[in-house]
Amino acid sequence: MSENKIVELAKEQALLLDCGRSLKSIKTAYTTYGKLNAAKDNAILICHALTGDQYVASNHPITKKEGWWSYIVGPEKPIDTNKFFVVCPNVIGGCMGSTGPKEVNSETGKEYGTDFPVITIADMVRAQKLLIDYLGIEKIFCVTGGSMGGMLVLEWLSKFPEMVHSAIPIATATNHSAQNIALNELARQSIMADPNWNSGNYYNSDNKPLKGLSVARMAAHISYLSKDALHSKFGRNLQDKNSLDYSFDADFQIESYLRHQGFTFVDRFDANSYLYITRAMDYFDVSSSNNGSLIESFKNTSSKVLCISFTSDWLYPTSENKKIVKVFNTLGINVSFIEIETDGGHDSFLLEEPKLFEAMQGFIKSTYENL
Amino acid sequence: MSLINEKKDFKIIADLIPAKSSVIDVGCNDGSLLEFLKEEKNIDGRGMEIDQQKVQLCLSKGISVIEGDADLDLYDYPDNLFDYSILTYTLQATKSPKNVLSELVRISSKAIISFPNFGHWKIASSLLLKRKMPISEKLSYSWHETPNLHFCTINDFIDLCDEAGIRIEKQANLKTNKLNKFNGKNLLNSYFNEVGLFLVSKIKN
Repeated sequence: MSENKIVELAKEQALLLDCGRSLKSIKTAYTTYGKLNAAKDNAILICHALTGDQYVASNHPITKKEGWWSYIVGPEKPIDTNKFFVVCPNVIGGCMGSTGPKEVNSETGKEYGTDFPVITIADMVRAQKLLIDYLGIEKIFCVTGGSMGGMLVLEWLSKFPEMVHSAIPIATATNHSAQNIALNELARQSIMADPNWNSGNYYNSDNKPLKGLSVARMAAHISYLSKDALHSKFGRNLQDKNSLDYSFDADFQIESYLRHQGFTFVDRFDANSYLYITRAMDYFDVSSSNNGSLIESFKNTSSKVLCISFTSDWLYPTSENKKIVKVFNTLGINVSFIEIETDGGHDSFLLEEPKLFEAMQGFIKSTYENL
Repeated sequence: MSLINEKKDFKIIADLIPAKSSVIDVGCNDGSLLEFLKEEKNIDGRGMEIDQQKVQLCLSKGISVIEGDADLDLYDYPDNLFDYSILTYTLQATKSPKNVLSELVRISSKAIISFPNFGHWKIASSLLLKRKMPISEKLSYSWHETPNLHFCTINDFIDLCDEAGIRIEKQANLKTNKLNKFNGKNLLNSYFNEVGLFLVSKIKN
């Protein structure tokens, strides 16, 4: 079990962001598990997804639920905390203690709100690199993450290839498709349509944009699941009733389930953070600094890579993940690929999926043995 | 597919490959050939395998492996990426052997292909005398459950290479364990080799 730590970085030299603005004294909240060995060659960096955080393998302080990747991270697990030094930071722009819109801007003494600069995935990685430097790690043994976490992994491989020995990008893409952007825009608009959002100024108000954020979460949640999984879990079953109500209450179980997902989400997430982080994902294109050339973007990468996709993931489908594999193959990078058959949808990387467990364990173990 | 003498086949394949070559084994199974070649010739190896359980085995051995299908996924590799490609006992299970062969000699300078020879006298006589689809150690499935789609004889293979603009450079005799310069089609060749094992390359225009 790890304590949450917060470190202030970029204290002397501000971090220049893609948008042209810069951030000074960046707070990064993070957890660590296990011990960094003397050779400092056993560090694993875990990058969380859109609504994830640093509580990867320890109980969440708000929800009290176990860590979001407890299935994969822990003693004797694929990311074996007896063997590895695991680092999981909350991304900048986030809302669990790292510098983001709900934190106070030291220059104004007020919460940033929408004054917070629009950040990118590359900015998040630059901030993570400051943390890795601070921890004294020159070469990370493995960088991994799913969904947005996978984007951060790709960004690490592209921008700091010499610092990454191996990597496992999961259920991700080299950029956001029009469909991905459309879904995020739907979420953002539902937040901004909530009058309590008040152009992002709600931190000192009793009325927070919980409705808007909740609807955003409901929409997103549908995209994380597959049609088959929804059908087998809920079908057209009614919620605690035997007949239709002829009303707009939650008649169907799926409605009730989604409402629950929405309601509980707002307890632990900040609406402005949701805007900023989805924006970063939409802007993401790992090749943007190389005129759209993926080959140029990864030409200095020599890491060992395992790409993983899931058959029923329609948000970051196998075809998008195979695009990454193709580029790495072309460059002669040591890349492996596995497509896991499941009806779990995009969320599969967060579920107890034995084939994911086996693949990650096999790859990480053998890669560390051959270090 | 059970192999009569895996290690012997491996040895003769290793003899065809210079040290430190880059190699892709298409249909790499559990990765044991790649491991053998790594040990013997210090190759830079990659695998492709359609069976996920075997992909998992490769991952646990530290082999870089793509879960993929020879019929579909070779197109993802650029020209001449590898020095050698290897396809052992897989050609007969592909949907389009001609396309697969053409892809192999496109993505690598040379390709090593092996397949069970349907023209071997034992196989041929099973069909001729018993009027039964042959089952042998190299062809171990009943006709109704075989994954093999396209059986061929050594002579058929030679014809296909001709048609696809592929040069046969060497042929292995797995009985004598010798590599021979290829001397063209002849009946004895197709009669007495249970396995065809060839080193081929693309005929350059």
